[in-house]
Amino acid sequence: MLVRLTDGELTVGELAEPFPMTLQAVSKHLKVLERAGLVARGRSAQLRPSRLQGAALKDAADWLADFRRFWDESFDRLDEHLREIQREGPA
Amino acid sequence: MTETATAHRIAITRVFDAPRELVWAAWTDPDQLVCWWGKRGWTAQRSSLVLDVRPGAAFRIVSVCDADGTEMTNEGVWREVVEPERLVFARSPDGDEEELTVVTFTDLGGGRTELRFDAVVRMPGDRRDRAAAGVASAFDRLADLLEGSR
Repeated sequence: MLVRLTDGELTVGELAEPFPMTLQAVSKHLKVLERAGLVARGRSAQLRPSRLQGAALKDAADWLADFRRFWDESFDRLDEHLREIQREGPA
Repeated sequence: MTETATAHRIAITRVFDAPRELVWAAWTDPDQLVCWWGKRGWTAQRSSLVLDVRPGAAFRIVSVCDADGTEMTNEGVWREVVEPERLVFARSPDGDEEELTVVTFTDLGGGRTELRFDAVVRMPGDRRDRAAAGVASAFDRLADLLEGSR
């Protein structure tokens, strides 16, 4: 559903179309995504088109990527350090 | 949204061409730790370093960005110290709930060592507030949703 929303706003009916799901089930999933801050929904009566709310998702993803990068780069440096001290031989 | 729903696991496995005792020493000897700790372009400060690798003892590592002098602090408490195979430390970035990191050192023989790093992380600060509203847990649910949508 999120992938489909990358093309723009869609109503529940449009969103449900390609999936073997009831409108009710799609609405339920949308509600979860909305609570999670990933999707925003319009107020136009029953149609309530949904759109992606990217910033929150990006923030969280950026933070996790940064944490991972900290350790990936630390371990690269650890690898270099271990090679270096072994070249030097026992102190 | 429960607290556990906002936690993520970051797991990294690396193999080093060095015997296990050496890899262990690189983690536990302050003079060595500052040689590799942190992202490239950052330097861990030896002068203010508190490592003190004993169960229950605290560590504190301040790193400085070479480019602009920005400081960053990593701190926590050692929970398990099993030389030379296992280190567990706890961080509590928001002063409340602990996040455990487990580092396992496995002797592969032939002077090679496998390091397994397994951390539980939660979103800090304002991101954490939003995580409480479910942003982070959305990642956990995303897979389920996509699975269920197929």
